[in-house]
Amino acid sequence: MRRRPSAAFWVMVVLLTLLVIVPLLWMVITSFKTVGESQADPPTLIPQDPSGRAFGEVLTTGGQNPVLRWALNSFAAATLHAALVVVVASMAGYALARMEFRGKNFIFSFILLTLFIPGFVFLMPNYLLMDNLGWLDTLWALVVPGAAGAFGVFFMRQFFLAIPKELEEVALIDGANAWIVFTRIILPNAKPALATLTVLSFLANWNDFVWPLFVLFSPERLTLPAGLSLLQGAYTTDYPVIMAGATVAAVPVLILYVFVQRYVIEGVARSGIKG
Amino acid sequence: MAAEASAGTLRRRRARASTGVRGYGRATPYLFLAPYLLLFVLFVIGPAIFGIWMSLHDWDFQLPGKPFVGLQNYKDLFDPLSATAEPFWHGMRATGIFTLASVPFLVVVPLGLAVLLNRKFPGRTFFRAVYFAPYVLGVAVIGLMFRYILDTTFGILNAFLGVFGIPEIGWTTEQPWAFVALVAVTVWWTAGFNAIIFLAGLQDIPAEQYEAAELDGANTWQQFRNVTLPGLRPVTVFIVTITLLASANMFGQALLITQGGPGDTTRTALMVITDTGFSQFRMGQASAMSYLLAICLSIVALITFALMRERKS
Amino acid sequence: MNTINRRLVLGGIGALGAAGVLAGCGEGSAGNPGAAPATGDGGAKGYDGPAVELDFWNGFTGGDGPFMRKLVDQFNSENPNIKVKMTVMQWADYYTKLPTAVSSGRGPAVAIMHVDSLATNAARNVIEPLDDVAKALDLKQEDFADVVWQAGEYEGKRYGIPLDVHPLGFFYNKKLMEQAGLDPAKPPATAEEYAAALDALKGKGIQGHWATPFPFTGVLSVQALLWQYGGNLFNEDSSKAVWHEEPGVKALTWFTDLVKNGHSPKNVAQDADNIAVMNGKNAFVWNGIWNINTFKEKKGLEWGVAPLPNIGGTKAAWAGSHQFVLPKLKTPDQNKSTAARVFVNYVSQKSLEWAKGGQVPARKQVRDSAEFKALPEQAALATQIDDLHFPPPVPGIGDALAELNKAVNESVLLKAEPAKALADASARADKILEANRKKYGA
Repeated sequence: MRRRPSAAFWVMVVLLTLLVIVPLLWMVITSFKTVGESQADPPTLIPQDPSGRAFGEVLTTGGQNPVLRWALNSFAAATLHAALVVVVASMAGYALARMEFRGKNFIFSFILLTLFIPGFVFLMPNYLLMDNLGWLDTLWALVVPGAAGAFGVFFMRQFFLAIPKELEEVALIDGANAWIVFTRIILPNAKPALATLTVLSFLANWNDFVWPLFVLFSPERLTLPAGLSLLQGAYTTDYPVIMAGATVAAVPVLILYVFVQRYVIEGVARSGIKG
Repeated sequence: MAAEASAGTLRRRRARASTGVRGYGRATPYLFLAPYLLLFVLFVIGPAIFGIWMSLHDWDFQLPGKPFVGLQNYKDLFDPLSATAEPFWHGMRATGIFTLASVPFLVVVPLGLAVLLNRKFPGRTFFRAVYFAPYVLGVAVIGLMFRYILDTTFGILNAFLGVFGIPEIGWTTEQPWAFVALVAVTVWWTAGFNAIIFLAGLQDIPAEQYEAAELDGANTWQQFRNVTLPGLRPVTVFIVTITLLASANMFGQALLITQGGPGDTTRTALMVITDTGFSQFRMGQASAMSYLLAICLSIVALITFALMRERKS
Repeated sequence: MNTINRRLVLGGIGALGAAGVLAGCGEGSAGNPGAAPATGDGGAKGYDGPAVELDFWNGFTGGDGPFMRKLVDQFNSENPNIKVKMTVMQWADYYTKLPTAVSSGRGPAVAIMHVDSLATNAARNVIEPLDDVAKALDLKQEDFADVVWQAGEYEGKRYGIPLDVHPLGFFYNKKLMEQAGLDPAKPPATAEEYAAALDALKGKGIQGHWATPFPFTGVLSVQALLWQYGGNLFNEDSSKAVWHEEPGVKALTWFTDLVKNGHSPKNVAQDADNIAVMNGKNAFVWNGIWNINTFKEKKGLEWGVAPLPNIGGTKAAWAGSHQFVLPKLKTPDQNKSTAARVFVNYVSQKSLEWAKGGQVPARKQVRDSAEFKALPEQAALATQIDDLHFPPPVPGIGDALAELNKAVNESVLLKAEPAKALADASARADKILEANRKKYGA
């Protein structure tokens, strides 16, 4: 339909790619340097005296920087969080989209209203709640409170509104109950939306910084963002160690991303569905 | 906007479906809603109200005494002689500057990226994935990485610029460079995210509209002005809104890269709130701050919406 | 305040010092003051229970971290059934996380705290009284400097076992002094000598003492001056700030006059005063003992350090102190408690090692040892030990002191007259003190 990409176009594409890759590459290179070399001015492009010391600092088990453990914690928290969001949001979204009951409009408007309350308002009170529930420094603090957000419900409701009613009506006439209709008919038809919501919830949880920074404190219980922040504070100017920590944090994510990037991108693309 | 693949074909029939499905017990809807509502009441409604209650106290959660202070925490924020007013308003200023400076770039750059990626070219999926990749790394990796890259004396950016004879710039220690750095890093980190949403919007614009414009003799720029931009309006509103919210919540970049400096110029409102609440354990004051910030934010959001609507008419 | 600076400074050492400190570290294992019987047999009895793991948190992120880690490693190898696991975070993170970690039962068994945080954390139920530890280990006031020992007490109970003291000292650039015709071997020690020296420097176009408006170390300097003029920060029962009284006004006026009289530029940036001494632009700076290693690192810098000059008439200096504390354990664990005590005693006796990280050891017998005297700079500042002042042990006192920071800032930046700035700050502090009394139920 349109003209073939020009040379200028390719230059642009490649420059942008370099812009993404070079900082990451620099991070990896630095993690093999010695402290002295990492502070050299001008910087050396290739480590003159390559050393694995920095990786030793962040990979030794039982050390103070269990970066892989943090990655695991992050992964577990984000996965459980996404699962919880998908379950509760699809159930609630279905009820709000397809069922008639007293108070429906009120409940929906109320939920929708909270969509516009910024998260930091809940920071202090939810922290106290975590303290009272005994959830501070546990996975639960990362998994559960965030699942109360309005976005998932709203998103699923919009999607269910678009599914034709005939599907369920037939089943209901056959005597199936609402739960069977929901799990056997509705959910299988909602896979793309469920996938999108999973991706978005996972990413939001994975990237969350403020909350885990304050609700977690044991070194082995931190998530990546919280742990890396602590690592930076503890090593101040020992950049090879800091970069090694960042590298160890980045690599598994990037590998995972290579395999699921299509779903991630499709998921994000659909987040604007109600623009 | 972007339609679901599977739902798309079914959507046309949707108009017929007017009322909900019958054939379930009276309690059923509530049972479906119950799990979410439980979370909603416990972690949204309860805390939102409880936060207001906290903000009326000198609330230190580890002490038995939590004296009631009425509206004092709010009054203090407007009393230049109080301990909270100065840090809070400095934080508001930092957040405000960052938001004003970052939102335009976080809308325009991704739009450009999206237009670029909307072309058909070999390796397109690959490049799309590359541009999005920074987002999945998370703010911590990005913060640590750029803190080093942006270092004044041994950062590679200054070394690179030095090749062109540009003197050392204090990216993390001087203004306005600290804000420039924070905005640039944020663009580097999240442009891919917004671009993907724009891209979905672009792909939703029917090809016929471009064909029609081309028949009318519109050149590429005119097509962009008259077809692309109007077609993207709903996505743009969405992106502006989420970006505005994200920028107002700025925290990680400033904490990890500039540490709030130089001085307290990049110490954002959220940093002040968490510091007051979690480090000084003055959660009452911190709650008051967050409500005030929320009110300011909603005013900004209303103004933005009003402006966007005006442009529309 | 700039977090980097605060974190490094509170950590008690400049990060730059790291390498130099390490270099001096090899020969250090000879001194073993712990062998002296005077410190009692509490630690000597050791721990023979089942193997325990002790979490040990501190904020030694700078060059002092490796010294502590070395001590921990030594301890671990000598005590096979105790494993101390040290976690370092920057002090700001540490003070945020520790209280909540303790209250939710996940706190460490041993930790380090600055002396001015003891009362607050004691009142907040974060740390336990240590009287029994001191008794069990037979630690006595005589073993420590009085002021340091007393600073570890709150409401008649002991909460901290002193590890070190880090006083403010008078650092000077010898080259600049020579240029101005001053004798670098004889730094000014009185108000008159100091004024004359500054004038001599000014005669050569040198701004001799940059006055920084920041807490580190501008406010610390003003506090030292205030005590020198015979004043105090708070009244007897710490219910009111009294820094706006005459000594405080004199102190802040003297410090602000450095700017007004052209001995300091206006708007000195954080740490710029110290960097200027290293770069030969500023002659004098009052900075913490942690500065020793930073200056040692700087090649070609000819410098000296002495006790603070006596400007006000009474010898006095600001100081901080790192103290061992035992965080509360939610579920009491006798083995952990015993092991923690053994560890505290062990490190306390080895504090000469620690002194090399740039601190003055808290233990008298270590300070009096020949090995410590062989660290000339540290030893020079250690002579101030009986003139040191700490903030009163009142919970939340730091909140009130923050107001003094603002006053000094405004005055040094010439935004307000010293007397006015101090009076306003004092009024605000009184309100905070009152609110804190309510909050902490005093």
